[in-house]
Amino acid sequence: MDSRNTIKKRYYFITGILFLLGAILLVLPHRDNKKELSPEDLLLAIATQDRFYSPEDIAKLIISGDPSIQLVDVRSSEEFTAFSLPNAINIPLANLLDKDENGEYVWETFLNQDVKTNIIYSNGTVYANQAWMLTKRLNFKNNYVMEGGLNAFFENIMLAKKPLVSAPQKEIDLFNFRKAAAMYFGGGGSVSTVSSDSKPIEGTPVKTKKKEAKSGGGC
Amino acid sequence: MGPLIQQGILSPEWDMIFAFIIGISFGFILEQAGFSTARKIVGVFYGYDMTVLRVFLTAVVTASVGLLYFNYLGWIDISLIYINPTFIWSAIIGGVLVGLGMIVGGYCPGTSFAAAAIGKIDGMVFIGGLFIGVFFYGETYDFLFKNLHDAGNLGPVTLYQILGISSGTLEFFFLIFAIFMFWMTIVITKAFSNRQFKY
Repeated sequence: MDSRNTIKKRYYFITGILFLLGAILLVLPHRDNKKELSPEDLLLAIATQDRFYSPEDIAKLIISGDPSIQLVDVRSSEEFTAFSLPNAINIPLANLLDKDENGEYVWETFLNQDVKTNIIYSNGTVYANQAWMLTKRLNFKNNYVMEGGLNAFFENIMLAKKPLVSAPQKEIDLFNFRKAAAMYFGGGGSVSTVSSDSKPIEGTPVKTKKKEAKSGGGC
Repeated sequence: MGPLIQQGILSPEWDMIFAFIIGISFGFILEQAGFSTARKIVGVFYGYDMTVLRVFLTAVVTASVGLLYFNYLGWIDISLIYINPTFIWSAIIGGVLVGLGMIVGGYCPGTSFAAAAIGKIDGMVFIGGLFIGVFFYGETYDFLFKNLHDAGNLGPVTLYQILGISSGTLEFFFLIFAIFMFWMTIVITKAFSNRQFKY
């Protein structure tokens, strides 16, 4: 009978502890541990230059119709309507961190996925870099920056300068590519027709698939 | 800090190693809890032995309380944990079938392997049946089970999201329920263990 009583006592003890644990959980505030990038990692990411895509690379990707890239225009919507690269989507820098009523980032489906490579651009590099830094800080994946922005895109490609005759073959090849690309985008020298016929295109959010179910648990 | 693999602290190759270690431990604990005995498992159904219920309830309580506290302390990011998507119809029908199978066969898939590992013939027969079932399901999936399998997808939902309360509140009520169940198991076992259909 004695052992029975000690068992009962133990049960009461465990019951008390469980109740206490539950009661504490009841009053503990909700805590969101969504990880942001640590300052050290951010500094490291900023210091390395591997976030940049050169305008030539991007021109090549656009011309080949690569479906795996998504151009993200972070300029204002007026600028975007006036001109944009083909198939770009517009996420003005000021709206980048907009949240919906559930407190989720509105643009997260675009900016945090591993299906498409986002290439952020603005007129120069500054705004694009700022947008990239925000996404990086939020630990969003797959975001890159167009080096030099639209200015460099035009300078390098649309207004490509002919190299000297004595220039190395590599440079001449590059010039030829730029020339051809300029023709694709609407003729060398004229800069107004890059996508004048295409209205700003609404991109479709890339739904990231959850990782495939690992073998289920249970007994 | 955690989950270690999702946070990139460990590479995904560790998945299999963890699965191996956890699998071995799980089997060992099943055996130690006495789950390699069919009598013990069907005991829940007949009411004379509630060990299964108590062990699994203990596991759920420990894991859920632990996770919530770890999340609060910042040791784990609960939003990164993989949650199985709920397919409501296949979950209900599959659950009923597994329950029936446990009463008839005396094991559930995991425990049958634990039983077979210590040389129980009924455990091995059960595994044989398991493979026949898997084969049948796989071969007839396209025209028999596909619709059921895909129906009622609720996505990776959690109970507290559906109820619209915080996870801590749900856990509190769950603990109350668990405490109630623990005490009920004592009452039920007492009431049924004297009856003479033990075999």
